[in-house]
This record gives sequence, C-alpha cells and structure tokens, in this order.
Amino acid sequence: MEKLLEILEELQPDVDFEKCENLVDGRYLDSLTILSLISEIEDAFDVQIPTVEIIPANFNSAKKIWELIERLQEE
Amino acid sequence: MSYFDILYFLVFVPIVVIVYNIFPKKIRPLILCIASLVFYLFYSKFLIVFLLLSILSIYLSGRWMSSLDKKKEMALEQAKKEEKKEIKEKVQKKKRWILLGTILFNVAFLFFFKYLGFFTRVTNQLLQVAHVDVCFKIIKCAAPIGISFYTLQAISYLVDVYHEKFVAEKKFFKVMLYLSFFPTIVEGPITRFQEVSSTIYEGVRVSYHNFCFGYQRILLGLFKKIVIADRLNIFVKSTFDNFSIYSGMTLACSAIFYTILLYMEFSGTMDVVIGTAEIFGIQLPENFRQPFFSKNISEFWSRWHITLGTWFKDYVFYPVSLSKPVKKITTFIKQKKGIRLSSLVMGAIALFAVWSLNGLWHGAGYHFLFFGYYHFTLILLGNIFEPTIAKICEKLKIDRKKKGYHAFQIVKTSILVFIGELFFRANTLHEGFGMMKKILTDFSWKDFGELFTIGLDIKDYFLLGISLLVILGISILREKKVSIREKIASKPIYLRWSIYYLLILAIIIFGAYGTGYVPVAPIYADF
Repeated sequence: MEKLLEILEELQPDVDFEKCENLVDGRYLDSLTILSLISEIEDAFDVQIPTVEIIPANFNSAKKIWELIERLQEE
Repeated sequence: MSYFDILYFLVFVPIVVIVYNIFPKKIRPLILCIASLVFYLFYSKFLIVFLLLSILSIYLSGRWMSSLDKKKEMALEQAKKEEKKEIKEKVQKKKRWILLGTILFNVAFLFFFKYLGFFTRVTNQLLQVAHVDVCFKIIKCAAPIGISFYTLQAISYLVDVYHEKFVAEKKFFKVMLYLSFFPTIVEGPITRFQEVSSTIYEGVRVSYHNFCFGYQRILLGLFKKIVIADRLNIFVKSTFDNFSIYSGMTLACSAIFYTILLYMEFSGTMDVVIGTAEIFGIQLPENFRQPFFSKNISEFWSRWHITLGTWFKDYVFYPVSLSKPVKKITTFIKQKKGIRLSSLVMGAIALFAVWSLNGLWHGAGYHFLFFGYYHFTLILLGNIFEPTIAKICEKLKIDRKKKGYHAFQIVKTSILVFIGELFFRANTLHEGFGMMKKILTDFSWKDFGELFTIGLDIKDYFLLGISLLVILGISILREKKVSIREKIASKPIYLRWSIYYLLILAIIIFGAYGTGYVPVAPIYADF
C-alpha cells in the first residue's frame, strides 16, 4: 500500500490520497493520469490491468486501487 | 412525430401512460416496448426492419456468449489446474469471434446508411486526382432514425457481455426495449444496460409525483427549444447559407448563436427525453452538466454530450491506449524518456482514434472530421502545455484558484468552442474557412446594425436575453447542486402551479412559432 501511495503522490502531489474517496468522480484523476497510474502499477506490482477493470469504482480511492491490485495478483 | 410535437407530449405520452397504468406491473415493460415500436414506425416506417435485425443479432450473440461462459464455469470446476488456462483461452477465442462478427454486422448497416455516400465521394475524388477515368455512383438513401445511437448502445451491450460484466438478458422483448426505448431512440442519451436495467423493467406505476416531475422537465425542454433555439434559427440559417454577403461581426455572432441554438436544442431534447422516462420511474443518465462553465476543452467534453464521451472513453480510449501495439511503443518511450512523455504519447494515440471516430460519428463530411481533429489538437496541446502554464502562472504569481482566473479560462474555452461549432455547422469545410477568414479580416463594430436585419428585431433580442438569463440562473443553481425542482415541489400548491402556468404561458406567448419562424429540425437525430 505504501508503494502505491508513493506512486499516487508522485503523479498528483496536491491530493490527500489517504482520505480522498472520489478520485475519479471528483476529477482528481483524469484519463491521462489514470493511464500513467496504470503504467506505473503494472511495472511496480507485476500485474496487467484489463480495460474492463478501468471503472470509477476501482479507482475512486487508494484503498480501492489496492484491492484491485491484490485481486489481480491473486488471479 | 418529434419530441417537440404536440402529438408527442399531449397525445402519445398520455396514451402510453394510461395504457401502462391499466396493465399489471409485470406487463408494463412490454407496453413500453410496444409503444417504442409504434413510435419508431411513425418515424422510420419500413426501416424498422434494420433496427429489429440489430436487436435480434445483439440478443442472439449475447445469449451465445453467456451460454459459453456458463459452460466454461462448469468445465473449470471439474478441470485440473493446468487445464484451466487452456479452457479459458478457448472460450475467450470463440467469444471474440462472436463479438467481432456481430459488431461488424451492426457497423455494416451504419456504414451503408451513413458513410457509403461520403466514402464513395472520397474514392471518386482520389481517382480523379490519379487521372483514373472511373466514377462510382453515389447511393443516397434515408437512414433508420437513431442508427448512430442504438448501434453504440448495441456495441456496449455486446462488449459488456463479452467481458462478463453481466449475463445476457434471456427475454427478447427486454433487449428490444433497451435498444428501442422511445424517449432515447432518436437522440440518446446513449445508455448502458446495467445503468438502466434496474428501472426500465421495474414497471412501477406512474405516480402523481413522477408525472409532475416528468412534465416539469419536459416544459423546461420545450422552453429551451421553442423560445430560444427556434428564435435563433432563421438568423443562423441565413448567415451560414449566405455567409459571403454578411460582415465579419455578424458571422462571429452567428457562430455564438449557433452554439447557443445547438445547446438549447440538444439539451432541451434531453430534458424532454429524461422527463418522459421519469414519468415511468425510469432514470436516464444526464447528457449535459453546465458545459459552459468548463475551464478547458477537456472538461467541456466531460460536461457536453456526456454519454457519448464516456462511451468513447470506455470502448475506444482505454482499449486503444492499453492495447499491445500501443503499450510496446510507450514502454520503449518510457525507458528512454520517462513516464510523462510515454503517457502523453499513449494518450495522444488513443485520443486520435477517439476524435477521428467522434468527428465521423457526427456526420460524413470533411468538416465533421475537421471538427474532431480540432478538438483533438486542443486537448493534446492542453495536456502538453499544462505543466508549462502552471510554471508561468507560478512565476507571474497568478493564483490559478482565484475566480478571476477561472472566469478567464471559461471565456477562453467558450471562444474555442464557438470556433469549433462554426466548422461543425458550416455547409462545407471550405465555407467554414471562408467564414473564419471574414471574421478575422472583415470585423467592424460599425456593422452592429446588421444584426437586427436577419430575422431578429430588438424584441427578439430582449426576449433571448431574458430567457438566457433564466437558463443561466438554473445552471448556476445546478452547479451549486441546488435541486430546483425539489425546492419548487416544497412550495405551497398555489405558488407551485403559478410557476408551472407561468412557464406554459411563456412558451405559448414567447415561443418562436408561426409565420416568420422556422423551427429547428432535430439536429442530433441526423447524426
């Protein structure tokens, strides 16, 4: 989780990722930032994020993103 | 019968409401389905065959893919660990062929009706340039109404079933209702199956509350269309059709007026559409979220025709940017130049695909393609220069969070939108450039008087000003998340009905209809 927070903070330093729960709905993460984030996550956690998983529910908070990573790692 | 015909909101909808309420809950979705087919027959006559073929193909393919998924799950339960991957891949491959085949089948209709003429013309032009003495005949035929909308919905249904987001619907009439629902069939919003299935098949009784709320929304739509859009139509039509005789100032105003007309016509239609669905307790997604409060073009497109934007984002932008060939290119760039450039390139490739399709979706013509690439360029430049602008503002000590800066951004974005819409409305790309040239080289405040000679007099401008202020007020309240309708509903009955009567009277008295006015044809129905 710490590694994920580091990635997020590097991409968007102004956002409090530990508290924010509407990263996509609140437009803190735009499409381009999500692309960078996916690229970073895939490298850092050795997972492949399929397009079907790119929905606001999976990216609205650091916790949700972490849950997605864990789920993909298990698969 | 358009959504703005008296026949629609005073005859068709009330009849459907009565019949719908007579029948029991279970039958009501079927009533909506029949009403949708009747509505479509009114509009497109025998072309309904193509809609039915699309629905049938989507239904059968969906069922086929879901049955394969079911068989896969059963096989996986009994399979050994090393066999599982092979089973999954085998099923996925089969599903991929079904998906591609059905998408091609549906897109072929779209291509035939919408693009064959354009591409034949392009081919003839290329052959002429190459001095080949061959000229293909251009076939012209009327397209089934709403084909661009229901085809996108059909694709989203199929792709979502393919990705196992939901199991394909078993009842044929339910798929038919989803794809042909009469309020959405002509101009959208482009709905997703999961988003509407919770309410569209519920068959809830039409309540007094829903009836009033639905008709309130319809009234707002009528106001936008009949009082504002139809009033501007003659001015816009005259200036765009004969631009060479008008001054640069008039043409600049024409671009602004057309943008207002388009917004009022399309968002007004959405009010009628969403209001109609609301009567039946069906919640449709919003298509507009105060687009003219946007601070940049990217934000504008997340507030304007929202359902089209999200469709392109989900089914083109992300699949293209995360596709294997694009990933190969961007991984290489990332290793050499870092993540920022690789993300920019990844986004640029996907955006190019999105805006090529977006331009073409709006119509078969060079000016529509130009419209797409114009926005692609603006969004790309916005992405590239965002860090530079942030640095410049920091150096100049400009607070980007201040209201003054926001106002500047809103004005800048609006001007860029007006330019885009000028090319969008222009009869040809050549005429679009001609108009732009006149605006830039023949602009003089002295020509102000010309604005009062093209179908609009001082009274019209006054009415337009007041009406737009009303819409602006509503937009500001919506932006502040104030629910105006709830507020009105909480007022005493005499006040509530006074507001309704005032709105009805405003439409009847100030509506731009009768001699001297030409109503705007449903613009997005042609797309």
